[in-house]
Amino acid sequence: MGLIDHRFDDNVITTNLDAVLNWARKSSLWPMGFGLACCAIEMMAAGDPRFDIARFGSEVFRASPRQADLMIVAGTVTKKMAPVLRRLYDQMPEPKWVISMGSCSNAGGPFPTYSVLQGVDKVVPVDVYVSGCPPRPEALLYGLMRLQDKIMKEGTVLRRERVIKTGSTEPVLVEG
Amino acid sequence: MRNLLRKLLLVDLLKGLWLTFTYTPQPAFTFQYPKERRPTAPRFRGVLRLQVEPGTGAQTCIVCDQCAKACPDDLIELGGHREPGQKLKALDYFDFNLSRCSFCGLCAEVCPTKPIKALVMSEDYELATYGRDRQVLRIDEMYDGLPIQAYTR
Repeated sequence: MGLIDHRFDDNVITTNLDAVLNWARKSSLWPMGFGLACCAIEMMAAGDPRFDIARFGSEVFRASPRQADLMIVAGTVTKKMAPVLRRLYDQMPEPKWVISMGSCSNAGGPFPTYSVLQGVDKVVPVDVYVSGCPPRPEALLYGLMRLQDKIMKEGTVLRRERVIKTGSTEPVLVEG
Repeated sequence: MRNLLRKLLLVDLLKGLWLTFTYTPQPAFTFQYPKERRPTAPRFRGVLRLQVEPGTGAQTCIVCDQCAKACPDDLIELGGHREPGQKLKALDYFDFNLSRCSFCGLCAEVCPTKPIKALVMSEDYELATYGRDRQVLRIDEMYDGLPIQAYTR
């Protein structure tokens, strides 16, 4: 994809190609399960037959970041874990997206302490924040649907810039 | 001899497989989530919601600030003013920072208004946002709830 991405202006061919590529990207989001705490239980429940995240094409939870498109950060990110999380994010191939699942990874949750990272958006850019403590599996599926909407709005071969919204907080350096 | 026959005719294997086969013709029990919503349990605690009086639509919150004091993470900020001659305070703003909320329900539990509780834990759980600035719910979102976008494919 490196040869053609963000190199073309809008015309009939490129916009249609863009739609097809975005459709393909949103329909096979392979997540890297980053289960860190109790939210991981709900993330696993979203993968089971009762809720079946496979209906959205995201059933392949990969253990390796090199095979994943989407990182679902589920749980409390401690400051010891934060450099590891950033490294795993850097190892994922582009295009990549991040869902922050649960109050702990959104903003630190009920742990405003020295050891807990106050929001995972301080180390990686987050696309969708799913609130809940923990969110139900349906809430995670809803967040995945919102991410699919966002992917459909992105420009893949078009010259449009990719919108990465990191939230209101400034990124900070984490020692580790 | 009998043991050898059991092994040759794969009796134990067939017994085990038969149990598997009896479970096989089951209907699918997947919840088709965006189409059908699983009913929540009565004790389910969703996102916080302000209530109005059902008939008149009048404000039920009395701006007593107890929910803000009960919150373990200090996520609720509310304020009001008193009109001259009126006994009840009018609610001006109600900011609820959803991002840290652990849905413990202490705020709704201490809400003293009767017979209609001003503050309840609703059944809404679709709370995905694109940014952290959207996670602070203002007063109109506290009354109406966050808008839920439908699934388009």
